Amino acid sequence: MQPEISQFLSSMKKAIEQVVLANLTDRFAQDQAGMIVGTLGFLQGVQDKAFHYELLENHLYRQLLGDLVALVADHDAVAPIRAQLAAESAAPEAHLRPYRALRGANEMLREQLAALIHRQAELPTATAEALDTRLRPFFKDLQLRERAWVRALGFDSLPDPVPDLDALLYRDGRLHLPAKEA
Amino acid sequence: MAQDTLTQQLRASPTDAWIRDIRQRYPVEPAIDEVMTRKLVNRRKGLEHVSDFSGLHERLTAYLQRATDQPQLSLANLKRLSGGASKEQFTFDLTWKDASNQRVTRPLILRMDPSESVVETHRLREAQILKAMVGQVPVPEVLWVDPEPDALGHPFLIAGFLQGTVMPEGTTKASGVGLMFPEKYRNALGGQFVDHMAGIHTLDWRRHDLSAFAKPAPGTVDGTQWTVALWERVWQEDTFEAHPVMEYAAEWLRRNMPVIDQPVVVHGDYRSGNFMFTPDLRINAILDWELAHLGDHHEDLSWASMTLTGAVADDGTRLASGMIPRERFFERYRELTGFEIDPRTIFYFDVFNAWKLGLICMATSLRAAYGRRTHLDAMMNLLTGLGYVCVATVQDLLAGQGRRL
Repeated sequence: MQPEISQFLSSMKKAIEQVVLANLTDRFAQDQAGMIVGTLGFLQGVQDKAFHYELLENHLYRQLLGDLVALVADHDAVAPIRAQLAAESAAPEAHLRPYRALRGANEMLREQLAALIHRQAELPTATAEALDTRLRPFFKDLQLRERAWVRALGFDSLPDPVPDLDALLYRDGRLHLPAKEA
Repeated sequence: MAQDTLTQQLRASPTDAWIRDIRQRYPVEPAIDEVMTRKLVNRRKGLEHVSDFSGLHERLTAYLQRATDQPQLSLANLKRLSGGASKEQFTFDLTWKDASNQRVTRPLILRMDPSESVVETHRLREAQILKAMVGQVPVPEVLWVDPEPDALGHPFLIAGFLQGTVMPEGTTKASGVGLMFPEKYRNALGGQFVDHMAGIHTLDWRRHDLSAFAKPAPGTVDGTQWTVALWERVWQEDTFEAHPVMEYAAEWLRRNMPVIDQPVVVHGDYRSGNFMFTPDLRINAILDWELAHLGDHHEDLSWASMTLTGAVADDGTRLASGMIPRERFFERYRELTGFEIDPRTIFYFDVFNAWKLGLICMATSLRAAYGRRTHLDAMMNLLTGLGYVCVATVQDLLAGQGRRL
């Protein structure tokens, strides 16, 4: 499998930076070429991590939705979540699925969570507060993951530091899938 | 890409039933509904609807000949501008007989809707608000507007082309968001920037023809309700992925709408990059009125001074639109308008505006780029990076203030 994706990207980036950009005179074309260079640099950093990123998302969304089903047990809003989690359990293990199928499964999980949040006002106050308490750390982790994913695009100047995507995904040389809290 | 769920498939290829449902769930102003519904119908046409400007010179000439009843007029130097993430823009020179029957040549600008845009807006609304602002704040003169797509393929507006610049020489912020003005510019432009916002908000809009705008009643949440519904509808129509924080924020915004005592004209995108100034540092035009609506003055105050549209000076001071500290901005605004500035309402609109900018960057920009419908597709993809910063800001605002989140 040669050349590696990273080598393709690196060669393209160099060609645009050193040959194309140097010979462009039109300002708009220069701007566009600069954006392509930025995009290629970003892709170099993330291309080999996309699958594990989705795998981690799958793990965390399933964990969260399982908790929320237990929390909001007697409301009809959780019926589709239960069905989705059952479908997930019946599907091949996440790490054996094609990338596209994993992306699709994760979007189903995200849509279920969004639908539950949309109906939050219907929940009893104590349940809604418990839901909030469970969502808070999930949202914080999600924020860090998303910011790490796009860090190389250079927009992030928020005061708290953005973790490196590599450090966020891997520990002791393997993908880190957090265990459920006791 | 991204058609793994039924919702994703419907967004990519909207059915009549889905369009009907989304219009019912998110009721917006009638004129806005018109353009948003048109966008969804156009989306079904796929790439066959991508803009084709090859015959523009002839079509534009024919339109102007009809509009002026002057078959002898001539049009020259038609050039497409590179900027304008939400509109296709062209400049040209028109030679025709003016109102005093003198033959004149004048540089003009054509602003036209693309097939699908970063923001879907209505050219008649833009034209009406520009006309209403004449004499109140500096604006380009609107000469012709056509909100229908028949003449040029898309709705458009033609205005006088003004000389000036939107950012200091050598700056590189493509849209002007996050631009830091050097000290000389800050000193000269900062005060004018506040003065013109005050001018916009103090316009007696009831005395002008704003027939394309819904009029919120004083002492209600009407204006904000329509605005939140609009952007929530945009999110639901355009996003590729559901996002729990965006959903949570929408829910919070629906539940916490502040009452508007006196509705004002809200510019909707008042910030650095959206005004023009002359070499002697005088603001000679407030630009990009396409998001203008009637609503809460806090919305503009927040947008112009929030961290996401601002910049940090060398000494660490955060400056509204890269020009003026937020407190000084508010103080001067209060003096000029006499309007109250409620910190809780500012907070509400800080959340709203971060959410709105986030959804523009993460949903609408990506959707437009996916459809290959703009001349800035590469930039539209990169904006996701800013989108995630906006989501983080929304989340931190709500969590930091002890709101539920």
